[in-house]
Amino acid sequence: MSHSKKAAIFNKDEAKVNWHDKALWYVREKRDNAAHGVKGWEYLRDTASKIKGNVLSNLDNYLIEFEANAIKNNIKVHWASNAEEHNKIVHKILEEHNAKNVVKSKSMLTEECHLNPFLEAKGIEVVDTDLGEYIVQIAEETPSHIVLPAIHKTKEEVDELFQEHLGTNPSNGNPEYLTNEARKHLLNKFIEADGAITGVNFAIAETGGIVVCTNEGNADMGAHLAPVHIACMGIEKIIPKEADLGVFLRLLARSATGQPITTYSSHFNKPAEGTEIHIVIVDNGRTEQLSREDFRSSLHCIRCGACMNTCPIYRRSGGHSYDATIPGPIGSILSPGKDLKKHSSLPFASTLCGSCSNVCPVKINIHEQLYKWRQIIVKEESQPVVKKSILKITGKVLGNRTLYNLVGKSARFMLKYAPRFMVYSKLNTWGKARELPEVKNENFDTWYKINRKNNG
Amino acid sequence: MGRDAILKAIQKNKPSLIPLPEINLDAFEEPIDLLETFKEKVALVGGRIIALDAIKNIDSEIQKLYPNASKIISCIKESNLGTISISEKTNPHELEAVDLAIINGEFGVAENGAVWISEDNFPIRVLPFISNDLVIILNKEKLCSNLHEAYKLISERNRTFGLFISGPSKTADIEQCLVIGAQGAMSLTIILV
Ligand code: SF4
Repeated sequence: MSHSKKAAIFNKDEAKVNWHDKALWYVREKRDNAAHGVKGWEYLRDTASKIKGNVLSNLDNYLIEFEANAIKNNIKVHWASNAEEHNKIVHKILEEHNAKNVVKSKSMLTEECHLNPFLEAKGIEVVDTDLGEYIVQIAEETPSHIVLPAIHKTKEEVDELFQEHLGTNPSNGNPEYLTNEARKHLLNKFIEADGAITGVNFAIAETGGIVVCTNEGNADMGAHLAPVHIACMGIEKIIPKEADLGVFLRLLARSATGQPITTYSSHFNKPAEGTEIHIVIVDNGRTEQLSREDFRSSLHCIRCGACMNTCPIYRRSGGHSYDATIPGPIGSILSPGKDLKKHSSLPFASTLCGSCSNVCPVKINIHEQLYKWRQIIVKEESQPVVKKSILKITGKVLGNRTLYNLVGKSARFMLKYAPRFMVYSKLNTWGKARELPEVKNENFDTWYKINRKNNG
Repeated sequence: MGRDAILKAIQKNKPSLIPLPEINLDAFEEPIDLLETFKEKVALVGGRIIALDAIKNIDSEIQKLYPNASKIISCIKESNLGTISISEKTNPHELEAVDLAIINGEFGVAENGAVWISEDNFPIRVLPFISNDLVIILNKEKLCSNLHEAYKLISERNRTFGLFISGPSKTADIEQCLVIGAQGAMSLTIILV
């Protein structure tokens, strides 16, 4: 099903959509506040982008350096070309330790590889221990956002899920009560676990160490209690030097949630006495993306989620509409590279307003890459009618540089000052269930002023 | 085999070498009051910060803050509150019911209220996470302005396990409502001496 069809389903519950929209915009505003508080923020972004550019141009050597240093520190390193190899490697390590109860902290890579069902089919229990991921796991869903996995769920829905799965009392969705119940339940899981899986935020070539960032402390609870810790990373997680973390950790949490840093930024360099650390380095389509000059820089992504929070389409259509592990603007660049046919509608799920590129901490030109995918897709795939007409307009505009710049500027202006009009005009299927009909008794100016007040 | 195939594919597909940028750290310099900024940021991230005149007062201060704590692990020699002693040999699973851990912090980072702590400060890695509450003792002279400075300070360390910890564990995964106390410690108190 295309993005717009799925978005139409999400838009049926208007109250929920409005909440989703506002909640994410609020996170975007927190990001702005945090960014404005840092002297040299733009220089920081620029530097991060340049470091990532260097990384991609020297990735093979950095990976070799990383591996050698990690091995020196008693860490075991594995390589996987694709999801299947990755899953088999993880399973083999667990099997060697006779591990049956595994706790996992957030890792979009293991989602991408569908690790959970693979391990479950082999009789291994996997518990997602990030609260948001735990919620979507018991709901038998997938994360709808890379930083806020359960942002699509209301607290009442969580309440019901917990009653069913944890035997909690009805609480009208009291977040403190529910979080505390999950804490108790997950503590038992951590204690029982005989294997822990985490993601990797940064892997440092110079030291062979990895850094894992969480707010909940779940990665550390898992990794330090279980006898074996398996950390899974895409090849692009490498950074050259430890000092580069100064750049990336200053950007990551501020861009993600507006916090100055995540609660825990844990640096693993050597396993503790009597335990093992394994690192699985995964390609799964990344080297192919590296070959595409126009899309290469999408591998700079540090998975902060800022482009999702700011995207007017993401906010109004929900992460599940993208039907991909990584939703939102960055996902719409990454997914077509993996399966062009399946994900051909994603690059069209954008107003090309450029807000994503403006907030991206590693300065990926996201909206320009979306446009480039459109050009490729139009050549290769047949388009539904509405898309075609949008495309005709954007095609005409973007074909002409001056016109593009002009319209780009005014589009940004419009988004700032008249987001509803821009985004929810009749042509856009994402705005189908809009309150546009209500405008009919007012002129646009009055309607817009009132609505802007009400909807921020 | 995965390794060779991946490395070969990278060699084939990577762009020609782009140099690493020189980072001009002067661009981030600000005239800030380290102590005041640090205090402000610790409060922002949900931590509590207390300045003591003399280290000999820490035990009475901690007892005031955590009157109900009975299973206490102290990793600092200045405190006599410890009721459980641990070593590198302790099974981490035995720490499940610890009420309070008291550890030394190495230095604080003003820009984000984080404190660097490492395995040198606690013999069992899981301790600062599994303990219900956490107290970090920090020398108020040991503050740096930002993470760039922080990484200089730890560049020569013996690399085993260490972390920046900024406030207590927290989550906003239920309707974006901030809840303090997720899977790690429920509270963090930094005592400046
Ligand atoms: S593309 Fe940029 S803004 Fe989006 S998640 Fe990645 S790093 Fe963050």
